[in-house]
Amino acid sequence: MRTTTRPLIELYPLAFLLGVIGTAACAEDAKPAYPVMAPIEQYLEASASAEIALARTAAPPSISGDASVQVLGKHGYETAVKGKNGFVCLVWRSWVAAFDDLDFWNPKIRVPVCFNPAGVRTVLPPYLESTKWALAGVSKTEMEKRSRAAIASKRIATPEPGAIAFMMGREGDVGGEGSDAASHHWAPHVMIFFGHTDSTTWGAGLHGSPITADHGQPEPNITTFNVHVPVFSDGTPAIPGPPPAH
Amino acid sequence: MACAEDAKPAYPVMAPIEQYLEASASAEIALARTAAPPSISGDASVQVLGKHGYETAVKGKNGFVCLVWRSWVSWAPGTDDQEFWNPKLRIPICYNPAGARTVLPAYLERTNWALAGSSKAEMKERTRVAVASNRIATPESGAMAYMMGGEGSDALGHHWPPHVMLWFAHTDGANWGADLHGSPIFAEQQDPEPVTIFDIAVPVYSDGTPKTMGPHSH
Repeated sequence: MRTTTRPLIELYPLAFLLGVIGTAACAEDAKPAYPVMAPIEQYLEASASAEIALARTAAPPSISGDASVQVLGKHGYETAVKGKNGFVCLVWRSWVAAFDDLDFWNPKIRVPVCFNPAGVRTVLPPYLESTKWALAGVSKTEMEKRSRAAIASKRIATPEPGAIAFMMGREGDVGGEGSDAASHHWAPHVMIFFGHTDSTTWGAGLHGSPITADHGQPEPNITTFNVHVPVFSDGTPAIPGPPPAH
Repeated sequence: MACAEDAKPAYPVMAPIEQYLEASASAEIALARTAAPPSISGDASVQVLGKHGYETAVKGKNGFVCLVWRSWVSWAPGTDDQEFWNPKLRIPICYNPAGARTVLPAYLERTNWALAGSSKAEMKERTRVAVASNRIATPESGAMAYMMGGEGSDALGHHWPPHVMLWFAHTDGANWGADLHGSPIFAEQQDPEPVTIFDIAVPVYSDGTPKTMGPHSH
Protein backbone atom coordinates (compact mmCIF):
# COMPACT_ATOMS: atom_id res chain seq x y z
CA MET A 1 0.00 0.00 0.00
CA ARG A 2 1.26 3.43 0.77
CA THR A 3 4.28 2.00 2.46
CA THR A 4 5.22 -0.40 -0.31
CA THR A 5 8.80 0.57 -0.88
CA ARG A 6 8.97 0.00 -4.59
CA PRO A 7 6.12 -1.69 -6.44
CA LEU A 8 7.08 -4.47 -8.81
CA ILE A 9 5.47 -2.48 -11.54
CA GLU A 10 8.97 -1.15 -12.03
CA LEU A 11 10.09 -4.64 -12.88
CA TYR A 12 7.03 -5.87 -14.67
CA PRO A 13 4.26 -4.25 -16.62
CA LEU A 14 1.66 -5.19 -14.05
CA ALA A 15 0.79 -3.33 -10.94
CA PHE A 16 1.30 -5.19 -7.75
CA LEU A 17 -1.20 -6.60 -5.36
CA LEU A 18 -2.20 -4.85 -2.24
CA GLY A 19 0.16 -2.04 -3.03
CA VAL A 20 -2.08 -0.95 -5.82
CA ILE A 21 -5.22 -0.64 -3.77
CA GLY A 22 -5.39 3.09 -3.48
CA THR A 23 -2.08 3.87 -5.10
CA ALA A 24 -0.14 6.28 -3.01
CA ALA A 25 0.78 8.66 -5.80
CA CYS A 26 -1.20 11.85 -5.64
CA ALA A 27 -3.30 10.39 -2.85
CA GLU A 28 -2.79 13.36 -0.58
CA ASP A 29 -5.11 15.63 -2.53
CA ALA A 30 -7.34 13.01 -4.08
CA LYS A 31 -10.84 12.41 -2.85
CA PRO A 32 -12.07 8.85 -2.71
CA ALA A 33 -14.68 7.93 -5.27
CA TYR A 34 -16.32 5.84 -2.55
CA PRO A 35 -16.09 7.82 0.70
CA VAL A 36 -18.59 5.55 2.42
CA MET A 37 -19.74 2.03 1.96
CA ALA A 38 -21.79 1.34 -1.16
CA PRO A 39 -24.96 -0.75 -0.99
CA ILE A 40 -24.01 -4.24 0.17
CA GLU A 41 -25.24 -5.82 -3.05
CA GLN A 42 -22.42 -4.14 -4.94
CA TYR A 43 -19.84 -6.10 -2.95
CA LEU A 44 -21.46 -9.45 -3.67
CA GLU A 45 -20.78 -11.73 -6.60
CA ALA A 46 -23.58 -12.81 -8.90
CA SER A 47 -23.39 -16.40 -7.70
CA ALA A 48 -21.58 -18.51 -5.15
CA SER A 49 -20.18 -20.68 -7.92
CA ALA A 50 -18.62 -17.65 -9.61
CA GLU A 51 -17.05 -16.55 -6.34
CA ILE A 52 -15.75 -20.06 -5.61
CA ALA A 53 -14.14 -20.24 -9.03
CA LEU A 54 -12.59 -16.80 -8.62
CA ALA A 55 -11.27 -17.61 -5.14
CA ARG A 56 -9.58 -20.76 -6.41
CA THR A 57 -7.60 -18.87 -9.02
CA ALA A 58 -5.39 -17.54 -6.22
CA ALA A 59 -3.33 -20.75 -6.03
CA PRO A 60 -2.44 -23.59 -8.36
CA PRO A 61 -5.25 -26.18 -8.63
CA SER A 62 -3.09 -28.69 -6.74
CA ILE A 63 -3.57 -26.44 -3.70
CA SER A 64 -6.84 -24.58 -4.24
CA GLY A 65 -8.66 -27.68 -5.47
CA ASP A 66 -8.44 -29.25 -2.01
CA ALA A 67 -8.93 -26.02 -0.09
CA SER A 68 -11.98 -24.79 1.76
CA VAL A 69 -13.62 -21.88 0.01
CA GLN A 70 -15.49 -19.06 1.70
CA VAL A 71 -17.85 -16.72 -0.13
CA LEU A 72 -19.20 -13.37 0.95
CA GLY A 73 -22.83 -13.22 2.06
CA LYS A 74 -24.82 -10.30 3.40
CA HIS A 75 -23.61 -10.87 6.94
CA GLY A 76 -20.09 -12.15 6.38
CA TYR A 77 -18.13 -14.94 4.78
CA GLU A 78 -19.63 -18.42 4.76
CA THR A 79 -17.94 -21.71 4.03
CA ALA A 80 -19.20 -22.79 0.62
CA VAL A 81 -16.76 -25.68 0.16
CA LYS A 82 -15.21 -27.73 2.94
CA GLY A 83 -11.65 -28.64 2.00
CA LYS A 84 -9.18 -31.22 3.17
CA ASN A 85 -5.72 -29.64 3.03
CA GLY A 86 -6.11 -26.89 5.63
CA PHE A 87 -5.92 -24.08 3.09
CA VAL A 88 -8.73 -21.54 2.78
CA CYS A 89 -9.40 -19.57 -0.38
CA LEU A 90 -11.66 -16.53 -0.62
CA VAL A 91 -11.97 -13.21 -2.42
CA TRP A 92 -10.89 -10.15 -0.45
CA ARG A 93 -13.05 -7.06 -0.65
CA SER A 94 -11.90 -3.46 -0.43
CA TRP A 95 -11.81 -3.17 3.36
CA VAL A 96 -8.72 -5.36 3.44
CA ALA A 97 -6.93 -2.15 2.43
CA ALA A 98 -5.29 0.22 4.86
CA PHE A 99 -7.68 2.61 6.55
CA ASP A 100 -6.26 5.63 4.73
CA ASP A 101 -6.66 4.00 1.37
CA LEU A 102 -8.73 5.76 -1.27
CA ASP A 103 -10.21 2.45 -2.35
CA PHE A 104 -11.28 1.38 1.12
CA TRP A 105 -14.94 1.21 0.13
CA ASN A 106 -14.49 0.54 -3.60
CA PRO A 107 -17.09 -2.16 -4.34
CA LYS A 108 -15.35 -3.24 -7.54
CA ILE A 109 -12.34 -4.66 -5.76
CA ARG A 110 -11.96 -8.43 -5.90
CA VAL A 111 -8.69 -10.01 -4.77
CA PRO A 112 -8.54 -13.82 -4.70
CA VAL A 113 -6.26 -15.19 -1.99
CA CYS A 114 -5.51 -18.65 -0.55
CA PHE A 115 -4.16 -18.86 3.00
CA ASN A 116 -2.13 -21.79 4.29
CA PRO A 117 -3.15 -23.37 7.62
CA ALA A 118 -1.00 -21.00 9.71
CA GLY A 119 -2.40 -18.04 7.80
CA VAL A 120 -5.91 -19.32 8.31
CA ARG A 121 -5.34 -19.48 12.06
CA THR A 122 -3.66 -16.14 12.61
CA VAL A 123 -4.08 -13.78 9.64
CA LEU A 124 -7.52 -14.54 8.24
CA PRO A 125 -9.65 -14.14 11.44
CA PRO A 126 -9.22 -10.36 11.82
CA TYR A 127 -10.23 -9.84 8.19
CA LEU A 128 -13.35 -11.94 8.69
CA GLU A 129 -14.20 -9.87 11.74
CA SER A 130 -13.62 -6.61 9.86
CA THR A 131 -15.94 -7.90 7.19
CA LYS A 132 -18.73 -8.40 9.70
CA TRP A 133 -18.22 -4.88 10.98
CA ALA A 134 -18.35 -3.48 7.47
CA LEU A 135 -21.48 -5.38 6.55
CA ALA A 136 -23.14 -4.30 9.80
CA GLY A 137 -22.66 -0.67 8.77
CA VAL A 138 -19.75 0.22 11.04
CA SER A 139 -17.90 3.30 9.82
CA LYS A 140 -14.27 3.18 8.73
CA THR A 141 -13.27 5.32 11.70
CA GLU A 142 -14.97 2.96 14.10
CA MET A 143 -13.47 -0.09 12.34
CA GLU A 144 -9.99 1.35 12.76
CA LYS A 145 -10.67 2.07 16.43
CA ARG A 146 -11.91 -1.47 17.03
CA SER A 147 -9.01 -2.97 15.11
CA ARG A 148 -6.38 -1.08 17.07
CA ALA A 149 -8.10 -1.95 20.34
CA ALA A 150 -8.08 -5.63 19.37
CA ILE A 151 -4.35 -5.46 18.63
CA ALA A 152 -3.63 -3.64 21.88
CA SER A 153 -5.52 -6.27 23.85
CA LYS A 154 -3.73 -9.05 21.91
CA ARG A 155 -7.07 -10.34 20.65
CA ILE A 156 -5.56 -9.93 17.18
CA ALA A 157 -2.42 -11.99 17.34
CA THR A 158 0.93 -11.61 15.65
CA PRO A 159 1.04 -13.95 12.64
CA GLU A 160 2.14 -17.47 13.48
CA PRO A 161 5.57 -18.41 12.05
CA GLY A 162 5.09 -19.74 8.55
CA ALA A 163 1.83 -17.92 7.87
CA ILE A 164 1.62 -17.37 4.13
CA ALA A 165 -0.87 -16.88 1.32
CA PHE A 166 -0.88 -17.34 -2.43
CA MET A 167 -2.00 -14.57 -4.73
CA MET A 168 -1.27 -16.02 -8.14
CA GLY A 169 -4.59 -15.40 -9.87
CA ARG A 170 -4.99 -13.68 -13.20
CA GLU A 171 -8.52 -12.58 -12.39
CA GLY A 172 -9.75 -10.01 -9.94
CA ASP A 173 -9.42 -6.28 -9.52
CA VAL A 174 -7.42 -4.30 -7.01
CA GLY A 175 -8.91 -0.96 -7.97
CA GLY A 176 -6.48 1.90 -8.13
CA GLU A 177 -8.08 5.29 -7.67
CA GLY A 178 -6.73 7.70 -10.19
CA SER A 179 -4.81 5.11 -12.15
CA ASP A 180 -5.56 3.57 -15.50
CA ALA A 181 -7.31 0.28 -16.03
CA ALA A 182 -4.11 -1.62 -16.76
CA SER A 183 -2.95 -1.15 -13.20
CA HIS A 184 -5.98 -2.90 -11.76
CA HIS A 185 -4.15 -6.17 -11.58
CA TRP A 186 -1.08 -7.59 -9.91
CA ALA A 187 1.89 -9.78 -10.57
CA PRO A 188 1.65 -13.32 -9.14
CA HIS A 189 3.24 -13.58 -5.74
CA VAL A 190 3.41 -15.38 -2.43
CA MET A 191 2.79 -13.38 0.73
CA ILE A 192 4.66 -14.14 3.94
CA PHE A 193 3.28 -12.59 7.10
CA PHE A 194 5.24 -11.37 10.11
CA GLY A 195 4.78 -8.97 12.97
CA HIS A 196 6.17 -5.54 12.20
CA THR A 197 9.56 -6.04 10.53
CA ASP A 198 12.00 -3.63 8.95
CA SER A 199 11.72 -4.31 5.23
CA THR A 200 15.39 -3.53 4.66
CA THR A 201 16.28 -6.71 6.55
CA TRP A 202 14.87 -8.61 3.57
CA GLY A 203 16.22 -6.30 0.89
CA ALA A 204 12.59 -5.62 0.04
CA GLY A 205 11.79 -2.87 -2.37
CA LEU A 206 15.36 -2.39 -3.52
CA HIS A 207 16.13 -2.15 -7.21
CA GLY A 208 16.11 -5.61 -8.78
CA SER A 209 14.72 -7.30 -5.69
CA PRO A 210 11.81 -9.69 -6.33
CA ILE A 211 10.45 -8.85 -2.88
CA THR A 212 8.34 -5.92 -1.76
CA ALA A 213 6.95 -5.19 1.68
CA ASP A 214 3.62 -3.89 2.89
CA HIS A 215 3.42 -2.51 6.39
CA GLY A 216 0.07 -2.44 8.16
CA GLN A 217 -1.68 -4.73 5.76
CA PRO A 218 -3.82 -6.78 5.89
CA GLU A 219 -3.80 -5.72 9.55
CA PRO A 220 -2.13 -2.78 11.28
CA ASN A 221 0.23 -5.07 13.20
CA ILE A 222 1.49 -7.03 10.18
CA THR A 223 4.37 -6.72 7.74
CA THR A 224 3.74 -8.66 4.57
CA PHE A 225 6.65 -9.66 2.36
CA ASN A 226 5.49 -10.25 -1.20
CA VAL A 227 7.73 -12.60 -3.14
CA HIS A 228 7.11 -12.28 -6.85
CA VAL A 229 6.89 -15.66 -8.62
CA PRO A 230 7.35 -16.57 -12.29
CA VAL A 231 3.90 -17.91 -13.13
CA PHE A 232 0.22 -17.38 -12.54
CA SER A 233 -1.78 -20.19 -10.95
CA ASP A 234 -2.78 -21.51 -14.36
CA GLY A 235 0.86 -21.90 -15.36
CA THR A 236 0.99 -18.84 -17.58
CA PRO A 237 4.38 -17.11 -17.29
CA ALA A 238 4.21 -13.69 -15.67
CA ILE A 239 7.10 -12.53 -17.79
CA PRO A 240 8.18 -12.12 -20.46
CA GLY A 241 5.12 -11.00 -22.32
CA PRO A 242 2.55 -8.27 -22.39
CA PRO A 243 0.25 -7.71 -19.44
CA PRO A 244 -3.10 -9.44 -19.59
CA ALA A 245 -5.96 -7.26 -20.62
CA HIS A 246 -8.36 -6.30 -17.83
CA MET B 1 18.20 -37.89 -7.34
CA ALA B 2 15.93 -40.88 -7.71
CA CYS B 3 18.61 -43.28 -8.91
CA ALA B 4 21.25 -42.24 -6.45
CA GLU B 5 20.94 -45.28 -4.18
CA ASP B 6 23.18 -47.47 -6.29
CA ALA B 7 25.46 -44.76 -7.59
CA LYS B 8 28.97 -44.47 -6.30
CA PRO B 9 30.19 -40.97 -5.53
CA ALA B 10 32.72 -39.64 -7.99
CA TYR B 11 34.43 -37.96 -5.02
CA PRO B 12 34.15 -40.37 -2.05
CA VAL B 13 36.62 -38.38 0.02
CA MET B 14 37.80 -34.83 0.12
CA ALA B 15 39.94 -33.71 -2.80
CA PRO B 16 43.09 -31.63 -2.21
CA ILE B 17 42.05 -28.37 -0.58
CA GLU B 18 43.37 -26.31 -3.47
CA GLN B 19 40.66 -27.71 -5.71
CA TYR B 20 37.97 -26.07 -3.57
CA LEU B 21 39.59 -22.65 -3.73
CA GLU B 22 38.98 -19.99 -6.33
CA ALA B 23 41.86 -18.61 -8.36
CA SER B 24 41.60 -15.22 -6.68
CA ALA B 25 39.71 -13.50 -3.90
CA SER B 26 38.39 -10.94 -6.36
CA ALA B 27 36.92 -13.71 -8.53
CA GLU B 28 35.22 -15.26 -5.50
CA ILE B 29 33.89 -11.90 -4.32
CA ALA B 30 32.41 -11.23 -7.73
CA LEU B 31 30.84 -14.69 -7.87
CA ALA B 32 29.40 -14.37 -4.35
CA ARG B 33 27.77 -11.07 -5.21
CA THR B 34 25.86 -12.57 -8.14
CA ALA B 35 23.56 -14.24 -5.61
CA ALA B 36 21.52 -11.09 -5.05
CA PRO B 37 20.73 -7.93 -7.00
CA PRO B 38 23.54 -5.36 -6.81
CA SER B 39 21.33 -3.11 -4.67
CA ILE B 40 21.68 -5.76 -1.95
CA SER B 41 24.97 -7.55 -2.61
CA GLY B 42 26.83 -4.33 -3.34
CA ASP B 43 26.49 -3.25 0.28
CA ALA B 44 26.91 -6.74 1.77
CA SER B 45 29.87 -8.25 3.54
CA VAL B 46 31.59 -10.89 1.44
CA GLN B 47 33.39 -13.93 2.76
CA VAL B 48 35.80 -15.99 0.68
CA LEU B 49 37.13 -19.47 1.30
CA GLY B 50 40.70 -19.80 2.50
CA LYS B 51 42.68 -22.88 3.47
CA HIS B 52 41.37 -22.77 7.03
CA GLY B 53 37.88 -21.48 6.55
CA TYR B 54 35.93 -18.49 5.29
CA GLU B 55 37.41 -15.05 5.82
CA THR B 56 35.76 -11.67 5.54
CA ALA B 57 37.14 -10.09 2.38
CA VAL B 58 34.70 -7.18 2.25
CA LYS B 59 33.06 -5.55 5.23
CA GLY B 60 29.55 -4.46 4.29
CA LYS B 61 27.06 -2.05 5.72
CA ASN B 62 23.58 -3.55 5.25
CA GLY B 63 23.88 -6.67 7.42
CA PHE B 64 23.77 -9.10 4.49
CA VAL B 65 26.57 -11.61 3.99
CA CYS B 66 27.40 -13.09 0.58
CA LEU B 67 29.66 -16.07 -0.03
CA VAL B 68 30.01 -19.12 -2.28
CA TRP B 69 28.88 -22.44 -0.85
CA ARG B 70 31.06 -25.48 -1.42
CA SER B 71 29.95 -29.08 -1.81
CA TRP B 72 29.71 -29.95 1.89
CA VAL B 73 26.78 -27.61 2.34
CA SER B 74 24.31 -30.45 1.83
CA TRP B 75 24.27 -34.08 2.80
CA ALA B 76 20.73 -34.89 1.88
CA PRO B 77 20.33 -38.37 0.38
CA GLY B 78 20.59 -38.37 -3.38
CA THR B 79 22.69 -36.32 -5.72
CA ASP B 80 23.84 -34.00 -2.97
CA ASP B 81 25.03 -36.98 -0.99
CA GLN B 82 26.90 -38.45 -3.95
CA GLU B 83 28.60 -35.17 -4.63
CA PHE B 84 29.40 -34.25 -1.05
CA TRP B 85 33.10 -33.79 -1.81
CA ASN B 86 32.81 -32.60 -5.41
CA PRO B 87 35.35 -29.76 -5.62
CA LYS B 88 33.70 -28.25 -8.68
CA LEU B 89 30.56 -27.17 -6.89
CA ARG B 90 30.08 -23.42 -6.45
CA ILE B 91 26.82 -21.90 -5.20
CA PRO B 92 26.66 -18.15 -4.56
CA ILE B 93 24.31 -17.10 -1.76
CA CYS B 94 23.53 -13.90 0.15
CA TYR B 95 22.06 -14.19 3.65
CA ASN B 96 19.98 -11.48 5.24
CA PRO B 97 20.95 -10.34 8.75
CA ALA B 98 18.78 -12.95 10.52
CA GLY B 99 20.17 -15.67 8.27
CA ALA B 100 23.72 -14.48 8.84
CA ARG B 101 23.16 -14.69 12.61
CA THR B 102 21.40 -18.04 12.87
CA VAL B 103 21.86 -20.09 9.70
CA LEU B 104 25.29 -19.24 8.37
CA PRO B 105 27.35 -20.10 11.49
CA ALA B 106 26.62 -23.83 11.25
CA TYR B 107 27.86 -23.90 7.66
CA LEU B 108 31.00 -21.97 8.55
CA GLU B 109 31.73 -24.41 11.34
CA ARG B 110 31.17 -27.38 9.05
CA THR B 111 33.59 -25.80 6.62
CA ASN B 112 36.23 -25.56 9.32
CA TRP B 113 35.75 -29.25 10.07
CA ALA B 114 36.03 -30.16 6.40
CA LEU B 115 39.19 -28.18 5.88
CA ALA B 116 40.69 -29.72 9.03
CA GLY B 117 40.23 -33.16 7.52
CA SER B 118 37.07 -34.46 9.21
CA SER B 119 35.21 -37.19 7.42
CA LYS B 120 31.63 -36.74 6.37
CA ALA B 121 30.49 -39.18 9.08
CA GLU B 122 32.41 -37.25 11.73
CA MET B 123 30.95 -33.97 10.54
CA LYS B 124 27.45 -35.35 10.68
CA GLU B 125 27.97 -36.70 14.19
CA ARG B 126 29.40 -33.39 15.37
CA THR B 127 26.37 -31.66 13.94
CA ARG B 128 24.04 -34.03 15.79
CA VAL B 129 25.83 -33.21 19.03
CA ALA B 130 25.66 -29.49 18.31
CA VAL B 131 21.93 -29.73 17.62
CA ALA B 132 21.31 -31.79 20.76
CA SER B 133 23.16 -29.24 22.87
CA ASN B 134 21.33 -26.36 21.16
CA ARG B 135 24.63 -24.97 19.96
CA ILE B 136 23.10 -25.03 16.46
CA ALA B 137 20.11 -22.80 16.94
CA THR B 138 16.69 -22.85 15.42
CA PRO B 139 16.65 -20.24 12.66
CA GLU B 140 15.61 -16.81 13.82
CA SER B 141 12.26 -15.57 12.54
CA GLY B 142 12.72 -14.02 9.12
CA ALA B 143 15.99 -15.79 8.30
CA MET B 144 16.29 -15.86 4.52
CA ALA B 145 18.73 -15.74 1.64
CA TYR B 146 18.91 -14.86 -2.02
CA MET B 147 20.10 -17.36 -4.60
CA MET B 148 19.53 -15.49 -7.82
CA GLY B 149 22.89 -15.93 -9.49
CA GLY B 150 23.19 -17.07 -13.06
CA GLU B 151 26.77 -18.13 -12.40
CA GLY B 152 28.01 -21.11 -10.45
CA SER B 153 26.72 -24.65 -10.83
CA ASP B 154 25.68 -27.66 -8.83
CA ALA B 155 27.42 -31.00 -8.71
CA LEU B 156 26.18 -32.06 -12.11
CA GLY B 157 26.95 -28.79 -13.79
CA HIS B 158 23.31 -27.74 -13.64
CA HIS B 159 22.35 -24.19 -13.05
CA TRP B 160 19.36 -23.46 -10.89
CA PRO B 161 16.43 -21.16 -11.33
CA PRO B 162 16.65 -17.97 -9.30
CA HIS B 163 14.94 -18.21 -5.94
CA VAL B 164 14.83 -16.94 -2.39
CA MET B 165 15.24 -19.27 0.57
CA LEU B 166 13.46 -19.10 3.91
CA TRP B 167 14.47 -21.04 7.01
CA PHE B 168 12.06 -22.35 9.63
CA ALA B 169 12.07 -24.92 12.38
CA HIS B 170 11.10 -28.31 10.96
CA THR B 171 7.66 -28.14 9.38
CA ASP B 172 5.71 -30.19 6.90
CA GLY B 173 6.19 -28.86 3.37
CA ALA B 174 2.51 -29.55 2.72
CA ASN B 175 1.70 -26.67 5.06
CA TRP B 176 3.12 -24.36 2.40
CA GLY B 177 1.76 -26.22 -0.61
CA ALA B 178 5.38 -27.00 -1.42
CA ASP B 179 6.37 -29.38 -4.22
CA LEU B 180 2.83 -29.64 -5.55
CA HIS B 181 2.19 -29.29 -9.26
CA GLY B 182 2.28 -25.66 -10.27
CA SER B 183 3.51 -24.46 -6.89
CA PRO B 184 6.45 -22.03 -6.96
CA ILE B 185 7.56 -23.31 -3.54
CA PHE B 186 9.92 -26.20 -2.87
CA ALA B 187 10.72 -27.66 0.56
CA GLU B 188 14.07 -29.04 1.71
CA GLN B 189 14.02 -31.03 4.93
CA GLN B 190 17.37 -30.88 6.71
CA ASP B 191 18.81 -33.62 8.91
CA PRO B 192 20.23 -33.61 11.54
CA GLU B 193 19.59 -29.86 11.62
CA PRO B 194 15.99 -29.31 12.79
CA VAL B 195 15.29 -27.09 9.83
CA THR B 196 13.02 -26.83 6.82
CA ILE B 197 14.09 -24.59 3.96
CA PHE B 198 11.42 -23.22 1.66
CA ASP B 199 12.70 -22.15 -1.74
CA ILE B 200 10.45 -19.76 -3.63
CA ALA B 201 11.13 -19.38 -7.34
CA VAL B 202 11.40 -15.81 -8.58
CA PRO B 203 11.16 -14.59 -12.17
CA VAL B 204 14.55 -12.99 -12.68
CA TYR B 205 18.23 -13.51 -12.05
CA SER B 206 20.13 -10.95 -10.03
CA ASP B 207 21.21 -9.18 -13.22
CA GLY B 208 17.59 -8.79 -14.31
CA THR B 209 17.59 -11.58 -16.88
CA PRO B 210 14.15 -13.26 -16.92
CA LYS B 211 13.89 -16.92 -15.98
CA THR B 212 10.83 -19.10 -15.84
CA MET B 213 10.41 -22.05 -13.51
CA GLY B 214 12.48 -25.17 -13.98
CA PRO B 215 14.31 -27.96 -12.16
CA HIS B 216 16.08 -26.99 -8.99
CA SER B 217 18.58 -28.55 -6.68
CA HIS B 218 21.34 -27.54 -4.36
